Amino acid sequence: MVSLLERISDLIFNKPNMNLFVNGTERVVTGVWEEETLLSVLREYFGLIGTRFGCGKGLCGSCTVHVDGEPVRSCITPINNIAGTSVLTIEGLQQDNEKLHPLQQAWIDERVPQCGYCHSGQIMQAWGLLSKTRNPTEEQINTFMDSILCRCGTYDRIKKAILRAAVILQQSSDINA
Amino acid sequence: MPDVSRRSFLKATAWIAGGITIAFSARSIKEKSVSVGPTLEFPNADSGKGWLQVRPDGKVHMLCPRMEMGQNANTGLAQIVAEELNIRVQDITLHYPTTSETAPIGFTAGSLSMMLFSKPVAIAAASMRENLRCRAAKINKISVDEVIDTEGGFVILGSPRIGYQDLVTDESIELDFENSVIPTLYTFDPRRIKKQVGQEAEPRGIKDLVTGAPVFSGDIQLPGMLYGRVIKPPVRKARLKKLNFSTVQNIIGFFDIVRDGDFVGVVCRTPGSLDKVVRSVIIEWELPEPINQEKINQLLDINVALQRGDLPSTLQDENHNPIANWDVDLEFAVQLQTHAMQEPRAAVAHIEKINDIERINIWTGTQDPWAIKRHCADDIGFREDQVEVHPMRMGGGFGGREHYEVEQDAARLALATGLPIKVQWTREDEFRVARNRSPSSHRMRLACDHKGVLSNWWHAYASGYVFYSRSRLPDWLLPFKRSTAGGDFGVSRGAHPAYKSPSIRVEYKEVDLPIDLGVWRSLNGAPNTFVIESTMDELARQKSIDPVRFKLMNIPDSMARLGNCLKRVETIANRKSLPTKSGYGRGFACGVYEKNSFVAVSVDLHIDHEARKICIDRMCCAQDVGMAINPDQLRAQIESNLVWSIGMALMEKVEIGDGQIASNNFHNYMIPRMSDIPSLDIDIIDNPAIHPSGAGEVALIAGSPAIANAIRDATGLRLTRLPIKYTDITALGSL
Repeated sequence: MVSLLERISDLIFNKPNMNLFVNGTERVVTGVWEEETLLSVLREYFGLIGTRFGCGKGLCGSCTVHVDGEPVRSCITPINNIAGTSVLTIEGLQQDNEKLHPLQQAWIDERVPQCGYCHSGQIMQAWGLLSKTRNPTEEQINTFMDSILCRCGTYDRIKKAILRAAVILQQSSDINA
Repeated sequence: MPDVSRRSFLKATAWIAGGITIAFSARSIKEKSVSVGPTLEFPNADSGKGWLQVRPDGKVHMLCPRMEMGQNANTGLAQIVAEELNIRVQDITLHYPTTSETAPIGFTAGSLSMMLFSKPVAIAAASMRENLRCRAAKINKISVDEVIDTEGGFVILGSPRIGYQDLVTDESIELDFENSVIPTLYTFDPRRIKKQVGQEAEPRGIKDLVTGAPVFSGDIQLPGMLYGRVIKPPVRKARLKKLNFSTVQNIIGFFDIVRDGDFVGVVCRTPGSLDKVVRSVIIEWELPEPINQEKINQLLDINVALQRGDLPSTLQDENHNPIANWDVDLEFAVQLQTHAMQEPRAAVAHIEKINDIERINIWTGTQDPWAIKRHCADDIGFREDQVEVHPMRMGGGFGGREHYEVEQDAARLALATGLPIKVQWTREDEFRVARNRSPSSHRMRLACDHKGVLSNWWHAYASGYVFYSRSRLPDWLLPFKRSTAGGDFGVSRGAHPAYKSPSIRVEYKEVDLPIDLGVWRSLNGAPNTFVIESTMDELARQKSIDPVRFKLMNIPDSMARLGNCLKRVETIANRKSLPTKSGYGRGFACGVYEKNSFVAVSVDLHIDHEARKICIDRMCCAQDVGMAINPDQLRAQIESNLVWSIGMALMEKVEIGDGQIASNNFHNYMIPRMSDIPSLDIDIIDNPAIHPSGAGEVALIAGSPAIANAIRDATGLRLTRLPIKYTDITALGSL
């Protein structure tokens, strides 16, 4: 939370704000929060807690979000390095209020999550793959997803869900075409 | 009691003035701040009474008695309620109670949920159904036999359908179970064609998990909340030797340091400033005892222990002959392993004052919320009714979340500052503080006759304590428990042979290791089964008997379900033949977990000399845990256990170095990744007539020995030290 004092001090010193776009909306980061990581800002400043903290070193991928369309580990991304960028989090993945994103739906259909903690990161990483490679091979999935850990060991279902979502995305793009 | 509001006001003032305060909490934090034991109030036949409601709209509400960590036990229990009440599981509204909203319920551990809770839940729901049936009969002035079940209500010949909403009024009625007869339980009627139980119900709350909803304790946000962290010593009970925090006041976002004895806590305004402050604090600890790998190896050395004579604890001793003509005599070393749950623990604590009485609210993901409540009250000098624990979903448990720990950090810092505090452990904290699965050292000897019938069995091993390890109980209680409990059943789990032999000795030594140990998935079930199944496999191969035939020959009739699993998994495995190229192997293993859960696993693997890797290609599993309430979730648990067995067999090991636990993140504690996962063929053996037993830690026990046995098949090498590395194969064998 930003204190009133911080806001006043920023106004007095005419400090330029740090802006970025989060899930399509322009957001401002001020004061002490400008020194934070993207993960910290998302969770604790914007209240977008869907992105989870797992290791703090970019080793497990639970905190994966997209910055300008590329999956990144938000726990090691300083917020002041990404001013002006577009950030997509799990909360912004669902474009239609009524309908889940095909990956989210596939995750439910395959009953992927156990504890569920890593799956925001898993889904965002998977979207990093499918948004560019609509019809990935199993080998491509393995390679692309290998950096995102799941301690419950739901990998087999993650793979199935990605393949399922790929089919659905393929079908919907066929319809649109 | 100190005036918290005044203190918080002062803290706030000091901060606004740009100053710094060093707070010593007004109430001295007690030294004895460890758990006195878990919550053991497990249900009896009447317990389900408080967990179910049919509301005036006819909707069924269930109060979830289990903590969620991915096992989806409450979904299974809701399926039972749905079966008994002839409704759909998705129509039941689930509630997750705080510790103030219900009486204490036994901790969520040991895969006991289905075993202990399925029947009380079924009784409650069936009693509810029969009570409603009586009401329908009374209203229509007919006998209860004429009131027939239908979905969400009843039908009576010649009358319109009666829904539950027609039978329930606003009047609150509590059913009296004490004197009532237990009605027919549809769930446990093997002749009934079930509509809910045995179906693949979607896990409740799954949508929250794929949309990033606030379900974990770290997701809690409170107005004015600050971020706290307690600096953790390398082991519990380390004493503070040196502390210097002179530079922290210049760090933007710093709020306070809370120090009391060896407790050093930092409070900041952002998580990032917390990291910076903690990094700039200079702290040194004095350890009660040095920690190093050699010392641990010496303490555990099974041969040294055996040279001194019989080991202190005997699990089984029948016609033992120490000078039998042993056909195999193997030594095993099982590694130190940790939970590494995906979510590092987190808790939020907030003290509020209502009518001059302080109350603390704690949000936390824990296996035992009532223990947290008791221990928090004890720790901060509150009465139990001043503490309310709000259990949150756990991002993995695996036995590692039973104690008052991160909650203690949050509660103490909230008390000291008077402000809402979120404590999010770092991954490094999690590695440092985890109560790991003990390493163990085994010697196992077997002999059989020329036909392959076992004649002599001798398994001796040394392990650190599991239940009675350091700091799991208060110092005053620990020696008493160790000497009177009749053995640490965590240490002995899995050591009972599932095979028959006329001569058997199983003995063990519990060792007080200088590291923090505790409960890990299956306790010692996986290590002991690894040893037993590796040795059995080796004996079969040395006698040139097919290992599966050999095991089946020695499984007694009382273990028919185990034999059945083994035969089944062999059939599944044989559907695909193993490549005949060199370097490929197939291994089998089986095991019993806690008397009533049976499993067998097969592994196909190959040694990839180019990638210098042991590659698991395929795993098959047949498991029998009695009635399959939700086959899909049973399968999910098996998948998880098989993945864990790969980690145990080939990857995971907590390293010790420089006087402390050296593994501190996922770069130096490797766990399985997607590319490590083989194809999985899983068969659930459904036994609807048998009460469900645990499934959360079963397949793990057979997975790692099946891997070791497959390596033996592929290479001719019997590898007995976990984790097994590619270099172990090249060191011992020829390429």
